[in-house]
Parts: sequence; structure tokens; C-alpha cells
Amino acid sequence: MNVQEYISSGIVESYVLGLASEEERKEFEEYCQQYPEVMKARTDFELVLEKQAMQNIIVPDPSLKSRIWNQIGVTGKVLPMVEPVPVRKMSWIKYVAAASVILLIVSLYWNISLFNKNQELKNNYDLASEKIKEMEHDKQVLQQNPHVKMASLKGMEASPQSFATVYWDTASHDVYLLANNLPVPPTDKQYQLWALLDGQPIDLGMLDYYVKQKKLLVRMKNAQKAQAFAITLEKKDRSDVSKPQGDMYVMGNL
Amino acid sequence: MLQHRNEKAFTYLYDNYSGALLGIVNAIVTDKETANDVLQNVFINIWRRIESYDPSKGRLFTWMLNIARNAAIDEVRSKGYNNSQKNVPFPESNEIAGAVTGTDITDVGLKKILGNLKGELRVLVDMSYFQGFTHEEISKALNLPLGTVKTRIRTALIQLRTMIQ
Repeated sequence: MNVQEYISSGIVESYVLGLASEEERKEFEEYCQQYPEVMKARTDFELVLEKQAMQNIIVPDPSLKSRIWNQIGVTGKVLPMVEPVPVRKMSWIKYVAAASVILLIVSLYWNISLFNKNQELKNNYDLASEKIKEMEHDKQVLQQNPHVKMASLKGMEASPQSFATVYWDTASHDVYLLANNLPVPPTDKQYQLWALLDGQPIDLGMLDYYVKQKKLLVRMKNAQKAQAFAITLEKKDRSDVSKPQGDMYVMGNL
Repeated sequence: MLQHRNEKAFTYLYDNYSGALLGIVNAIVTDKETANDVLQNVFINIWRRIESYDPSKGRLFTWMLNIARNAAIDEVRSKGYNNSQKNVPFPESNEIAGAVTGTDITDVGLKKILGNLKGELRVLVDMSYFQGFTHEEISKALNLPLGTVKTRIRTALIQLRTMIQ
């Protein structure tokens, strides 16, 4: 193996950041033991990362420490010892009978849960195949495309935990939305995506159905120009959809 | 006493590293209050799982950093679907301008550096590191071969490294 080539392949960064596969991890750990250079490269990157993290600290809420200490109970208290329960003597046949009853119950339970799991997997598989088919025609967009810009839309006051990601192809003007985390809308409402240009919202379409499938990219209306993107929650039967009326859930700039 | 010594070590870890770990949690969770809740779970996990930390596999900080990142991603994936929906009107245009600038300020650390990567590489690092999608999921979602996803993510990480050094 060419150690230098291996080190500069990106495996070191991938391993340390937790992005390597199980197989890659095992191999990397073996090489670390075998080659001091690999180990050194790992430590070097860990130190770079650590230094970077230490330069970007956010001070936690002052009450957090006591909350943690309370929860783990590190007050120096010693846990009481549990007295062992005396065991009565039983004949071996009773043990065998008891053991077989337990085994039967466990096995029944296992069969049922395996059957359920299997059904669930089948359903999930069908659903996933459908979704992948739907996306076939979108494939060009993010593939080898230097024009794609990304905007992280962050939760606004209506829903601080929400967020979504917009990928915008500045050459073809295609807009794709990844609804990472949006609350399920009430049945009479739907989400609407907007491009923001000089503070003016431009309608990029509705996404009522897709928010549940948060892992998939949804193609929206094209945007010629945009400085930022936002999502609002709107009534479904609105007559004029060109202006937002509902609450803003997420927003972010390019 | 061992228990006592562990408490001291744990206090040391909290005092020295809670801020750095909150930095990474906040890059993923974005909401400050939730990020603090996640950090609480991170330290409880560190306390409970410290026996499983193996120094031959990396530095303690790296181990804690990965616990923090995973906890933040779990939080984002599990919560939020049942959020209460408050009534907040769509802001006026001048408020939008202010809020958009505001989002820039919250992007610190690795997330800010991410902005320097070119389009596609940035998307890949965002999806894998900050959103926790596996290479397989990304490969399916973007319809790219798995090998391509892997090599491009590695390329992106190498570039990121030169940017933070």
C-alpha cells in the first residue's frame, strides 16, 4: 500500500468527522496501528478540528450545568447495596419446564415481530421505489453542476425548529427544495415557497403533499433571480396566490 | 475514590469543552434553546458512555464531537413535526432584509467555512455532515453513483481542511 496516497485520499478527514463507512473505519483503524504515519495524520487533523472548534465556541445557558449535574446525580452519594435474594432449591425438572415455557413465549413473540417487521419493510420498499422513480428526471440538476447554489432556510418565530434547504441552479433557474423539517400542516393549509428579491416575494409554488417525505428533493417553479428564499403556511382556498398572507416558517439567503 | 475522580474529570470536560460542543450542535440545530437541550443530552451521554471511549481510535475531543453531532442530527430528525403553530404575520420587506442578514451571523465555524466550497461539493458536505444522510441516501437522492458521492465528499473534506488550517 502507498501510505502517502492513502493518507491524502481524504479518508483521514472522513474518518475523524464520522463520515466513513463501517468497512472504511475498520480498515483505517488497522492501518493506524500498522503505520505510524497514518496515526500521525489522524492526530494532526483531529488537532486542526479541535482548534477550529475552540475558536467557535458558543457559551451554554448558565443553568445548563446544574441541570446536567442533577440529572446524572453526581453528588457523591453512594448507591445502596442490593441484598442478594436467597435461592430456594428446586429439582432440575422444574428448571427444564420453566425454561421451555420461557423459550416458547420468546419464540412466539419473535415470530410475530419478525412478521410485522417484514410487512413494514415491504411497504417501505415499495414506497421508496416509487419515490426514486419520480426523481429520475431531476437527476441532471445537482450532477456535476457548478451553478448550483444552496440556501439554508432557518426556522422563524412561528416554528424555530423548522428548517429547509433550497438548491438553486443559477444557469437553468431550476429550484429544488429539501423540506428537512417542517411541521405537518393542518388539512386546510399548505406550504408555499417564495423567492425574495429586494424584499419582494415571488411565488415558487406549493408543497403541501411533499413535506412528509423530507428526504427527497422537490422541484419547484423556476426562479430567474433571488436573494433569499422563504416558506409560508397559507390557506388552500386563497384566491390570490401571488402574495403571502400566512405565517413565515423558514427563511434564508443564498 | 473512583467515583469522585470521575466527577472531577467530568467537571473539567464540561468547563473546557461545552462551548465548543455547543458550537457544533448549534450549527445543526440552529435554535439556541433547543441546542442547549441537545447539549444537556450530549453530556449525559458522555457521562454514561465514557467507559466505551477507546483512545486508540482517536482523541477524546473527536469522540465527544461525534456524540454532539449525532445528537443534534437525531434531534432535528425526530422533533418539529408536532410544533405548536403560532400566529406570526409575514414580515414587511425591510424586516426581511434585516432577518436575512441575521441568518448570516448565526452561520459560524464549520458551517460558515462550508460557504466557501463550490456549489456541488457544498451540497454534498451539507447533506452528509450537517444533515446526517448516509452516502447511500445521498447517492439515491441525487441519482449519483455511490462511488462518485464518496470521492466527491472526500474531495470536499480535503478542501474544507485547507480552509480551516
